[in-house]
Amino acid sequence: MAENVRVIPFWGCMIPVKYPQMELSVRKTMEPLGVELVDMDGFTCCPDPIYFKARDKVQWLTVAARNLCIAEEAGLDIITMCSGCTSTLLEAKFILAEEPELKEKVNQRLKRIGKEYKGTVTIKHIVVMLRDDIGMEILSSTVKRPLTGIKVGIHYGCHLLKPSQIMHIDDADYPSLLENLIQTLGATPLTHTEKLLCCGKGCLDDNMPLQMTYEIFASMEAVGADCMGLICPTCFNSFDIGQILISRKMNRIFDLPVIYFCQLLGLAQGFQPEEVGLHLHRIKIDKIMEKLVKSESVEFAL
Amino acid sequence: MSDKQLDFEFRERLNRIVGGDHHNYCYQCGACVAVCPAARFSDEFNPRDILLMTLLGREQELISADSIIWKCTNCYSCYERCPQDVRPVEVIIALKNMCTQQGVLPDNVDKFSEAIIQTGRSVVITSTINRRRQALGLPELKDVPVEELKIILDE
Ligand code: SF4
Ligand code: SF4
Repeated sequence: MAENVRVIPFWGCMIPVKYPQMELSVRKTMEPLGVELVDMDGFTCCPDPIYFKARDKVQWLTVAARNLCIAEEAGLDIITMCSGCTSTLLEAKFILAEEPELKEKVNQRLKRIGKEYKGTVTIKHIVVMLRDDIGMEILSSTVKRPLTGIKVGIHYGCHLLKPSQIMHIDDADYPSLLENLIQTLGATPLTHTEKLLCCGKGCLDDNMPLQMTYEIFASMEAVGADCMGLICPTCFNSFDIGQILISRKMNRIFDLPVIYFCQLLGLAQGFQPEEVGLHLHRIKIDKIMEKLVKSESVEFAL
Repeated sequence: MSDKQLDFEFRERLNRIVGGDHHNYCYQCGACVAVCPAARFSDEFNPRDILLMTLLGREQELISADSIIWKCTNCYSCYERCPQDVRPVEVIIALKNMCTQQGVLPDNVDKFSEAIIQTGRSVVITSTINRRRQALGLPELKDVPVEELKIILDE
C-alpha cells in the first residue's frame, strides 16, 4: 500500500446534488487505495466555466480564488471530480499568476472576508491523482474482479485536456491517460473517431448538442463498445439522458451505458453495481454484468 | 464585410475585459475553424469570422442575446490550436461579458448565474436531495456561505 495520500475533495455542484452516485463511487473506491478524503466546509460553486464566466470574468475569478483559499489555509491539495471544476480552478490559478494586477484586484475583494489568495494550492482531477500520486501498480493491486472482455468507449471531454498550456495533463490530440487507467482495470479501452468530440453542453442551440452526442455514440457503436467510460458529470448529463432524447427526437436507439470512471473502478474492486450507484442511471448496465459474470465463470473453469 | 469603418472605441473597451485584449493578435489564418465543433455542426458559426467582426468592431452584430457567439461550445480546441495565442474562446467569453454590461444576456445564462449568486450553487437543492443522499449513505449537504459570496461579488 502507498503511503497515505490526504486530499481535499472539491465535489462541485452537479455531483453531490444531481449525481450523488458518482460521489458514492469516489468515496468507496478511494478507501482501498489509501486515499484519505478530507472534506472541507465553505466551498461554493467553482464557479461554472461557461455561464457564470460569461457573466463576469472578474467575479468568476474572485469566487474561484475564494474556494482555492480554503484549501490553501488547510495546506492540502484539491482533487476535482468534474472537468468543469478542474477547468475553472486551474484556469483561475493560471490567470491570477499571469496577471498580478488582477490578483491584486481579486485580493482586495477577498480581504473583505478576511481571506488572501496566494496561489500555492495544487489542483488535480481525480484521474490525474490516480496516475501521478497513486500509480498503476497500486491501482491494479486493488482490482479483485478484472473487467475482462468489457469494451469501454473512451470519452475525454474537453476541459480535462485543453488548453494543455494550463492543464498540463496529457497530449491534447493523442492522450493516453484514460486508456491506461481503463486497461489497468482489466477492461479493453476503445479508441474511436469521435473520442475527442465535445459533448456540446455549453452550446446554446436546440439541435447542435444533440447532434454531437449522436455522432459520438455512432462512432462508439461502430467499434463495438459495450459502454462509455467518462470522467465528467456534465458530459454524463449529455449522454445518459441524452440517449433517451435521441431515441425520442431522432428515433435512434444506442442503449450504451455511460459509466463514470470511479464506478468502473468500483466494479473492478469487487463492489456490486448498486454499491457504486449504477442502478440510478437511465441506461441500465445489465448486459455488461452478464458479460462479466460469464467471463468470471470461464476463468473459474480454466 | 463591406463596412470600411473600424470601431476602435469598441476594441478599447474589449481590451479592458480579462482576455479580451488577445483579439488584437489574430491574423485570420483559420486554424481555429478546422478544429471547432460548433463550426462543424453549424453553417453560421465560425470563430475566424467572429474574430474578424471583432477586429472591425461590429458591436451590434456581436453583442446581443441572440448573437452567434452563444453557439460556442466552450471546448477550448481553438485555444489549443491558435498559433497567435489569441485564445479565441476567451475573446468570445469577453464579448459575452460585454453582453452582461449592456444587459443583453440570454435568459437561461442570466438565471443560471443568478442561482449561483443567490444560493452558492449552480444546481438548486430540494428536500428530496438530502433524503436521496442519506439513502446512499452520503453525508448531508451543508449550507454554503452565501453572504460571503455577496460581499466579494461587489465591485
Ligand atoms: S484566432 Fe488564431 S487560429 Fe483563429 S484565425 Fe485568428 S490567428 Fe488564426
Ligand atoms: S471554444 Fe468555441 S470557438 Fe473555440 S473551437 Fe470550441 S466551439 Fe469553436
